[in-house]
Amino acid sequence: MKTILVFREEKFAWAHEAFPFVHPLLLPLCNKPYIEYPLDLAILAGSTAVRIVCDGRLDAVESYCEDGSRWGIDLSYAHMHPEDSDEILLGKNRRFCGDERIMIVRGFCFFVYNKRFDYKSEAASLPECKWAACPAGGSITLYGAPVTPRKDGKDAPMSIVPLDGMANYYRASMEALETGADNYVLPGYGVEPGCAIGRNVVMSKSVQIRKPVNIGNNVQLLGDTIIGPSAIIGSNVIIDRQSVVESSIVLDNTYIGEHLEVNGRVASGNMLNDPVSGASIVMEDPHLLSGIRESEILSTLPRKLTHALIALLFIVVLSFPFLLFAMLLRIGGLWKSSRIECHSEKPGKTISLDNIELDVKKPLGAIAAALSMDRYPMLFRVLTGQLSLIGSTARVAEAKHPNTPSSSLAYRPAVFSYAEAEEWPTTGGDAAIVERYHLAHSNAAADVGLVFKAFINNFHKKSSA
Amino acid sequence: MKFTLDNIDGKLVGIAELEGRLDARNGKSLKKIFLEWLEMTPLTVFDCSRLDFIDSSGLGAIVGCLRNALEKEGDVRLAGLNAKVAMVFELTQAKRLFSIFDNRDEAAASFAATAGSGTGQ
Repeated sequence: MKTILVFREEKFAWAHEAFPFVHPLLLPLCNKPYIEYPLDLAILAGSTAVRIVCDGRLDAVESYCEDGSRWGIDLSYAHMHPEDSDEILLGKNRRFCGDERIMIVRGFCFFVYNKRFDYKSEAASLPECKWAACPAGGSITLYGAPVTPRKDGKDAPMSIVPLDGMANYYRASMEALETGADNYVLPGYGVEPGCAIGRNVVMSKSVQIRKPVNIGNNVQLLGDTIIGPSAIIGSNVIIDRQSVVESSIVLDNTYIGEHLEVNGRVASGNMLNDPVSGASIVMEDPHLLSGIRESEILSTLPRKLTHALIALLFIVVLSFPFLLFAMLLRIGGLWKSSRIECHSEKPGKTISLDNIELDVKKPLGAIAAALSMDRYPMLFRVLTGQLSLIGSTARVAEAKHPNTPSSSLAYRPAVFSYAEAEEWPTTGGDAAIVERYHLAHSNAAADVGLVFKAFINNFHKKSSA
Repeated sequence: MKFTLDNIDGKLVGIAELEGRLDARNGKSLKKIFLEWLEMTPLTVFDCSRLDFIDSSGLGAIVGCLRNALEKEGDVRLAGLNAKVAMVFELTQAKRLFSIFDNRDEAAASFAATAGSGTGQ
């Protein structure tokens, strides 16, 4: 059994307009990209090879799905003309089809199925027919002679909902959320039924989670937020203090500001959509709703320049104490220096940093630590742009915690950390909260104040220790 | 911003027509001119049927007007919010502060139906 998934660009043109940052076939539906649902269906129906055919570009889909090995199938891609019928498609792809039974799945649709049923034997035993169809153009058609006789008379449920606009997209997502892991193959850790949470999710103790909810990876839920019921939170999302997200979808890379109520909406970046009326607004207030994106040159340049200038000031002012302390501490054996590889701001890259250990039990070592002498060599990295003066605590590069593009959105290795400036714990979830908050809100001017605050806090902490 | 006074069952109700965008650029001028309108009547309807866009500054200006009106035992009622503007009021929970009507006539008539001071619905 092989499957051909057929998509026509005009059927998902609305999704291109509504969500311009993602290919429609990769649009998150519940907590995984849309394309995985028809792929799951093909696999449930017993397909060993699937071909995705489209009259538009598939580059993004191809780089996401690759050769299908992660699903244990052979996945290939082909182009078609918009008017190609099933017969023409079978002819154009006859080498792929061979003499096997073929299932052609057409349309940008949501396929309502239940993974607990036996689709494999049903697909193998049905005669050539339209297995399912909807008036809006979605269909599943079987070609070729049945492979095996029918084992039992129990029909597996199958219906098709066309994803022809925001309203049906919203309904399909909610259907996947509410039936959840019972019917579909959904990723995430199932803490309990109706609640799936991804990796690196940090939430304050005061957050309320009301099932069913689905939360993606790298999500920050700040104090007193209420999530759910029926909330789908994508990856790289921050929900700021005292906001409520109910019966809504918050797509990837979205920041929801403080004290907001998102109810029955689809939020994507700085866009808020009403699936019922079809109305959408683009938020111009960064503190209401905004997109979280990788830093761009124009926005980072003033920050980098400011950081470099302040770093230069620190270098000049602390140069004499550094030379003095470094010499005395080295002579006294209280200064141990080594190199460590840390994650860089750029995904997948590392940076080699000086790791200076001071013996703070001795008065001289304690004074040097209070003056942040152990960080002095790192200040030069700020001048070269490899480090920020204030940001996240540099993370040691480890294979089990790679620096992916998504995790790097909330990571900016620095000499001082925002957690130090705010006198928060400098490691773990609490540090992650404050660092992510400032990375979303910071600007060059605010950073200057926070750098001095971090330096003074460090001085008090180390000198009183 | 056009402002007219209507006599609804013996009560003077001000009708202010908001147009185009209400944001940081014109929010302050609304708050300023509203103080002049308050001298004429504490009961005001903001007709938003021609308001295309509002941001948090504009919203802040409208809430500021409401606060001033309440201090004078009056009220600000909203009418004719389009879907986009309504979404901002819902998102920020500001709709809880205001009585919102489909059109300006209903909003103005609501002042006649209630005692002088109004409270949000």
